[in-house]
Formats: sequence, C-alpha cells, structure tokens
Amino acid sequence: MRDGEARENRRPSDDPMRRPRAIHGRAPDVFRLGAWVPMRQFGEDEEVDFAIVGTGAGGGTLACKLAEAGFSVVAFDAGPYWRPLEDFASDETAQSKLYWTDERIVDGENPLQLGSNNSGKSVGGSTVHFAMVSLRFRPEWFKSRTLLGYGADWPLDWREMWTYYEEVEQALKIAGPITYPWGPKRPRYPYRAHELNAAAKVLARGAEALGISWTETPLATISAPRGASPPCVYRGFCTLGCSTNAKQSVLITWLPRALHAGAEIRDLAMVGQIETNGADRVTGVHYHRDCEWHFQRAKNVVVAGYAIETPRLLLMSATSRFPDGLANSSGLVGKNLMVQGNQAVWGIMDDEIRSYKGPPSLAITEHWNYEDKGKDFHGGYAYMSQGPLPVLWARTLAGSRGLWGEALLNEMQRYNHSVGLKVVSEYMPQERNRVTLTDEKDQYGLPIPRVTYSWCDNDKRMNRHALAFMRRALEAAGAREIWDQEDDTCHLNGTARMGFDPRTSVVDGDCRSWDIPNLWICDGSVFPTVGGVNPSLTIQAIACRTADRIKALAARGDLEVRSKDRQLV
Amino acid sequence: MSREVVTSGKQIGEDQVGLGIIAAMAALALAAVLARKQKYRRLAQSSGTVTAARRLNRAAGTLAFSVLFDSAIEHYRGSFHNKAMYTPLVVSSLALAVSAHGVNDERSEMHRLRDAIYVAAAVIGAIGTGFHIYNVAKGPGGINWQSVFYGAPLGAPAAIALSGLLGAAAERIRDSDPHRPRVFGLPAGRLAAAIASLGLLGTTGEASLLHFRGAFHNPFMFLPVTLPPVSAALLAETALGKQHRSRWFTRWWLRLTTAMGFVGVCFHAYGVHRNMGGWRNWRQNVLNGPPLPAPPSFAGLALAGLAALTLVEDRPDA
Repeated sequence: MRDGEARENRRPSDDPMRRPRAIHGRAPDVFRLGAWVPMRQFGEDEEVDFAIVGTGAGGGTLACKLAEAGFSVVAFDAGPYWRPLEDFASDETAQSKLYWTDERIVDGENPLQLGSNNSGKSVGGSTVHFAMVSLRFRPEWFKSRTLLGYGADWPLDWREMWTYYEEVEQALKIAGPITYPWGPKRPRYPYRAHELNAAAKVLARGAEALGISWTETPLATISAPRGASPPCVYRGFCTLGCSTNAKQSVLITWLPRALHAGAEIRDLAMVGQIETNGADRVTGVHYHRDCEWHFQRAKNVVVAGYAIETPRLLLMSATSRFPDGLANSSGLVGKNLMVQGNQAVWGIMDDEIRSYKGPPSLAITEHWNYEDKGKDFHGGYAYMSQGPLPVLWARTLAGSRGLWGEALLNEMQRYNHSVGLKVVSEYMPQERNRVTLTDEKDQYGLPIPRVTYSWCDNDKRMNRHALAFMRRALEAAGAREIWDQEDDTCHLNGTARMGFDPRTSVVDGDCRSWDIPNLWICDGSVFPTVGGVNPSLTIQAIACRTADRIKALAARGDLEVRSKDRQLV
Repeated sequence: MSREVVTSGKQIGEDQVGLGIIAAMAALALAAVLARKQKYRRLAQSSGTVTAARRLNRAAGTLAFSVLFDSAIEHYRGSFHNKAMYTPLVVSSLALAVSAHGVNDERSEMHRLRDAIYVAAAVIGAIGTGFHIYNVAKGPGGINWQSVFYGAPLGAPAAIALSGLLGAAAERIRDSDPHRPRVFGLPAGRLAAAIASLGLLGTTGEASLLHFRGAFHNPFMFLPVTLPPVSAALLAETALGKQHRSRWFTRWWLRLTTAMGFVGVCFHAYGVHRNMGGWRNWRQNVLNGPPLPAPPSFAGLALAGLAALTLVEDRPDA
C-alpha cells in the first residue's frame, strides 16, 4: 500500500455512500483504520460462475462459500462498504444511514413500517445493524403443515439443517448458554453467554415467577477475543452498527473470507435487471454503479436481496418469454410476504434498569415456540428483553403511546427505570401479503415496489396472547404502569418460497429456480414459513447448504441443466 | 496478525506461538535459577525450621500480594458498593506486610502479632467466601452458569484464607522442635504440603471456570488448568506418601508451576491488549480484561509446596 494513497482515502471526501470503495483491486480492511485488503477483480465481459445480487446473510455467506469452493464470484450490493471502526458514530440519527429507506409504497390493513427493523442497505446487508439474535428453528417448523397443521412444509430436513446451523454458529463464534432449554440437543455454543444486564434479569425473574424456562440469548457478538475482533464492550449501539467489530456481522466474517478466497465485491452497485437469452437461461445482470448502467456476464445468477428487493428484481426482469417476471410460472413471486410480530409490553421498575447497556436482547424465553398446549392460534413466539436507545425510546413513547410535550418529557425522565419485553412471533403466510411493482420510478429509474400487508385472524390472536402473557411476566417481575406497544413488526420473509412442486413454489430445496436452472434465490425470501425466531441464522444456514448443493451439482455436471430425476424428488 | 487468522476462526497465529515459546523458555530459565540457588539453601539441621517458615512466609506473602491487587481492581470495578468490599484490601495488605516481616525474621519463635494477623486473614477469608456465595446465589435462577461466571468469584476470598493458613503454619513451625516440627500436632511438612495441594486444586477450579468463560480462545489458557492439578497430585503424594530423600520430579514440577504463575501475568497483559483499544485504553481494559494479579496465586501456592517439600525431604518425621 502506498502511504499517500491511504491518507487520501482517509479524508472526509472518501464518502462511501457516494463513491465505491471496492475498486482498483482492493477492498476496505474492516479491521484496520484506513487499511485495505487485496481483491480480485473480474472484467464485465468475463463470464463469471456466479453473479450474486446482495451481500447480506444469504448472498454474503453464499459468496464466501462458493468462492472458497473455487467458483469465480462477483457479489453486488446497492449499499456502501462501511469501515466499522471509522463510519459508525454513537449517534442514532446518523446511523439510520444503514437502513434501506429508498422510496416504497406500503398499503394493506396493517401497512409495514420499513427501515430499521427489516432492511439494510450496506455491504453485509442488514446484519450490519441486526440485533445479533442467532436462534435455530424448532425442528417441527420444517414440517409445519404435516406436523403442526399450518403453513407449508419445507423441502429441508431439520437434521441436515442442524449441521448447517452448527457451521454458522462456529463461523460467527456465537456466544450462547451452556445448555439450551428447548428442542433437541445442540452442540455447545463456541463462546460463552454474555453477562445479563438488569433488563435481562427482569425477564429471568418474570419467567421464574411464572414457572417457565428462560436462558441467555445466543448472540453473534463475542464474549472473548477472536482474531482482530475484541470482545463486546457493551456499548449498546448494536442495532445501529457495531463500531468495535465485536458483532460478527456478514461484513466482518463471511466477506473477508470471501475476498481472501478470490471473490469480488462491488459496492454501491444496484442491480436493476437480470438478462435472459432465447434458451431461457440467465446470462448476467445489469447494474447501476458510478452513475451509469453496466452489464456483468455470468453463468449463474443468485438473487439475495431480501423479501422485497428479490421479488422486485425478478418482476422487473420480465421479458416476452417471461411476461410475469423470472422464476414466476407458479405466480408466487412476491406473494406470501411474511413479517414477524414485534409487539412489546413496557413498564416501570423501582430499581434503575438502564436497559440500553449491553446488547439489547440478552435474555430470552422460547417457551411458546415449543409449548403447543394453551394456544388459540397456530405458530409460536419467543420474547426477549429490550434495550431501546433514547431516540428510539422517545419515538416509541410518542408514536405508540401517544405522549407529547410535557408528558413525553416527564416520561423520558424515567428512561433509566423503563423496562420491556418484546416478542418475535410467527405470522402466517398469506398470498394477499405481497410485493408488486408500481408505475412510479426511483432514483435509478426503476419501478418502486408496493408492499401490501395485513394480519389474518390467527396473527391477531397470537398478538393478543403474546401481549397478555408478557404483561403477566413483567408484572411478576415487579414492574408497574405496564402498557402495550401493539404496532411493531420485524423481519421480512417469503415472496419466493421454496417447495417440492414447481406449481406451488418458486425454488426447490437447493434454492434453485424451478423455471430457470441457472437462476438461484438465496435469502429470507425462500422461507415457506417464518417460525417464531429471528431469521438470520437460518438464512445463513440455508446459504451454507446451498453452497454445498451447488458444489455437489457441479461435481456431477448438473449445474447447467437440471436433470430430469431431480424434478421428481 | 495475518488476515487468514482474523477470519478463519483459528485463534492462534505465528506471533502467538512465538510468544508462547518465549514464555516457556522464560519459565524454564526461572525454574533453573530457582534450582541453582536451592543447592546453597539446603537446610542446616539447626535452622531448618526457621528457613522453612520463612519460605512459607514468602508463599503467604505472594498469595496476599495476588489477593491485594486482584481485590483492589475487582472491587474498584464493583465501585465498593458495599463497604465490606474494603475488607480484603486491608486484610491482604496486613498479611503482605507481616509476610515481608517474617521473611526477614531469623528468630526461631512465633511472632504474636504476625500470627494474629495470619489467623484473622484465614477467618476473614472464610467469611468472605460466604459473602461471595451469597452474591452468586441471589441472582435470578440461583446458582447457575451465568451466576458463577459473572457473580463474585468463589475462589478469591479463599486465597486470602489460604495465605493466612500458610502464614499461621509458618509461625507454628518456627516454634516447633527443629528435629520434629509439628503444627496442630501434625507433621509440619506434610501438613503444609496438604494445604498447598488443596489450595492448588481450588485455584485450578477458579482458573478453569474463568478460562471456560473465555471459551479457551487461546490454547495457552489450558496451561493453568493442566500444570497445577499435577502439582496438587504430587503434593498430595508428598503429604501422604512414603518418605523419600529426593522427589526431584515434584520439585521441578512445582518450580514450573511457580514460573507459570509469574509468566501468567504476561499472558494476561496480552489478553488486556486484545480488548477494544488495547493498552491505550488501559483504564477500561485492566478492569475488563483478564485479571493481571490473579496468576501469581499459583506461584504462591507452588512456593508453599516447595517449602513443604524441603521439610519433608530433610526430615523423615516432618
């Protein structure tokens, strides 16, 4: 590295939101101030093995695994390539730069609030600001239609997923409890659980009082040193970008590995269309970077833009041969959008809580994910302790509780005594919840997506159950003046579900499009059901599995053409 | 550190292996130095009990030193929110002071004040252990991994109790018949060996727990959970086994354990460096990182073991 160059790039003019950083054969070294790591680069005429659209939990993980398997990989992301040590201020408002806040139209009976809880526009995707909660699915959820009577079965076996969960937990050095109270035995988490903060102890006390199990939440932030990552300093800005690199996001785990293995990452590169040829194969992607459109040739395209951008790109890539969009012979692209419930109960404790200290969700109970009796609804939920930072807390009090003026000021005075429990619950897949295209255009000249969302009766019953139960738990822990926050949701899944049949799903269990054999989808879009846990660990596990399947298919020459017998599986 | 190490999940780079080899060589060198001096210190029959007692004073002082600085740092971190948290600072300071006095005292009789302070340290250490057990048990869920990882460490007050116990034994050995030293009516050398053995086991338990909490992320973290238990076993054999003129393996292993106790400070200093901001941020990281004064408690106990060993080797009836 030349000194002058490094200094030049450290100047404020190095604005990662305006100028790409991953250029000239190098990418930012996320672990060192102003440093770079070498990056292989591919020509646009060079037909790479895989063009991956998105570098989050799905795309970033897959880029790493495919590059390590020897494939040539270019991964595109519309967001900037952040340097966590330099770009992540302790400022809630400034850090909203991590969210995908491009224009979108939301409607339905319960329009979604898009941004912090469900999207990211960064290299590394929303894992750059996710809450690090790393949970496994309950095994029965992979067969929820057959075993539990709702939703749809997954074409994946839970035992196989158990091995991929372990791979991801090791890759992220998840800090979790010694024994997990629910579900089949799992291997020991690589790192030990973090110390509980006072807010987590409130959850624990409530659970003890109600006689249900609780545990430390398995988190993707390390509790002991790891390589260039120092252990968590409990700064509390976890959902706004970790400035110490304790958080094991895709940006600092899979992507450095991907670069080392020879993958190229193109930041500030918005893919607007997938090109197809007369043989109904994809041939590459059109992407917007540095104020102009480019085309990258590729033998395979993987779409990993999460549950809004993925169907949007497939729909935008419609041709005369695929008038309804790519991979959409089932008509299901964009349908079955699933979010998760994120309601909360909040109260006041006599003792100081200071819930903003440390990771926000240090304690959890999955009781209602694994207990099927006593429910008037399908699905399950987990709830966790919470640690809202001041601006978010003020917004919650104003938006959800209707406080303003002096009342809001007075309530903010009690910030240090506020405590809450927040749910992650399993909403049902419904075809009416969907992503479609509008006629309006965004800054790239691409059609703005419309996101339509409504709760079904089952979702509403679950909301009521969760709020009532969490209220009891908070009361039992000694909180008073308890109130319900009824409006919040989180995460995005569905819209390109995997399945057993081309007529009722978009991709097969290998995340491969039924219609176009060299088109893949690898993110939360492929979920047929969401489960009652945060989805990131499952998305990464699916990406690891997909990489292994692609390796196996390539080894037997099935990557170009889908063999007939595979369709019968 | 190379980029592969950063991201592959491997915890050890060439630099760390190099550091380990240097540390091991330093430990061997220290052990050799101790061994060479040992020849000149071979006990003359007359002053044997005094020398043994002074060595036990030295061991008790090393432990007190470890407790003083460890409790100072940890209780400062806990903001001394309970006034009782000043107690170990006072007690271990006094134990350190009287130990220094004892090391330089060549008289062959018990010193009343020293003895009183040592006995008080033993009693207060036991009470402190009770406090720490209460602290651990009062959290939600009672005693579980979370509370033993992050509650008050159970072994820390026990260390000052051990210091007091070794010191009290030292005072009684001074008072004993040099040809047949007895403490509480038991053979002095064997009793001291037994105390050191149990102390090493307890300290190993503490190190195991905290290194497990750190997920043994650095393989050198296995050293204090593998070397000391062997020392404990060898000392137990010394306490209970037949009389031998020379237990050279036990002696060398105890020297190794002593060296490990001191070199451990360097490893912990490296551990502090691996926290956010490293040593530049020492005011936070000395509190957050691995405790710098903790490893010498192994040295203190191993030194006590060496003193006991010499007594047993030199006096068939000790």
